[in-house]
Amino acid sequence: MELLIEKKADENYTIVIGCGRLGANLANTLSDERGNVLIIDKNKDAFRKLSPSFGGLSITGDATDLDVLQSAQISKASVVVAVTNSDNVNIMVAQIAHELFQIKRVIVRLYDPETECVYHEFGIDTICPAILSAKEIDKILSKTSLSEDVSQEEKK
Amino acid sequence: MKTKVLLVGGRSKAKSLAISLIKKGYKVSVINDTYEDCLKLAEIDKLTVINGNGTRPFVLEDANTGDADIAIALTSKDEDNLVICELCKKRFHIKKTVALLTDPKKTDFFYKMGVDSVVCAITAITGIIEQQAFVDKIATLVPIGEGRVSLAEVSISGTAPAVGKKLWEINLPKQVIIGCILRGDTTMVPRGDTRIMAGDMLVLISSDKQEMTAIKELTGK
Repeated sequence: MELLIEKKADENYTIVIGCGRLGANLANTLSDERGNVLIIDKNKDAFRKLSPSFGGLSITGDATDLDVLQSAQISKASVVVAVTNSDNVNIMVAQIAHELFQIKRVIVRLYDPETECVYHEFGIDTICPAILSAKEIDKILSKTSLSEDVSQEEKK
Repeated sequence: MKTKVLLVGGRSKAKSLAISLIKKGYKVSVINDTYEDCLKLAEIDKLTVINGNGTRPFVLEDANTGDADIAIALTSKDEDNLVICELCKKRFHIKKTVALLTDPKKTDFFYKMGVDSVVCAITAITGIIEQQAFVDKIATLVPIGEGRVSLAEVSISGTAPAVGKKLWEINLPKQVIIGCILRGDTTMVPRGDTRIMAGDMLVLISSDKQEMTAIKELTGK
């Protein structure tokens, strides 16, 4: 039984840094999908956002502190996701994970798309809410305008 | 051409560093994200002050970061300093970047990420405090030439027997010379008729391990 758990842990262990709306949501989803999740946040109260069914671990601490990351057994993680509300914290944590702990898959949320281009070359995946939202809104707009066009044509 | 230095963040550190660098003939710009701090900094003559967040690429662009020779990140947050140095290096191709660091454990990491010089305030300060607290007579002793020659820094207290004496009146061992005297803000290379005063810091150059004899002669301890 123990062996099984350990094997599973090796295969899929995600560390989420920052328990904001995005971090908590992501942790809940991953936990529901039966993945091993550990979430870190500086503020203990932030963990209230986790759903009652959350089956992962949580650590209260500063994720830019190497000791905290080590206690989270970061070197065993398959994915590290940095989604705190500070771009620079996310960048630093991601680089620590990538460079010091050799984590292959590191995903970072960056509010400022301008810094994004600089960090692409580090082998770190970045997502930018502003760009994603813009694309999505654009999609909705083009859809509605399309349907308007269609309805107008139908009227004709 | 004047060497251009860019300081990012840091209130009092940026201020005193800017004053000192301008005095030495550098062209200095400062980026600070607090408006009040910027007003204070703007009182300094010949200093270019930019109000903005120095971790943002467009603020760095406004500050003509591309022209700078040295960038120094002085904010109180380690992550900000890292990002500033990385942006300066990667995007603006600045030759030398210096970062202030709070957490000593990250020193190697910062070097690994391409910061040219990392100054860890805590390590530096604890080092100085240790030196001051535990070594009375010798402030620093630096061995050179495989330890055959040593440089020692000796402070002269008011009660030291050497106070008020000219150098030729002091019976120093042949293997020791006083290479330099630091008095307040000034430094001088002494001659035989230079008088030693209380509060002086002497730099001794000695061979054959004679520094202790010389220090005893100078300080009486």
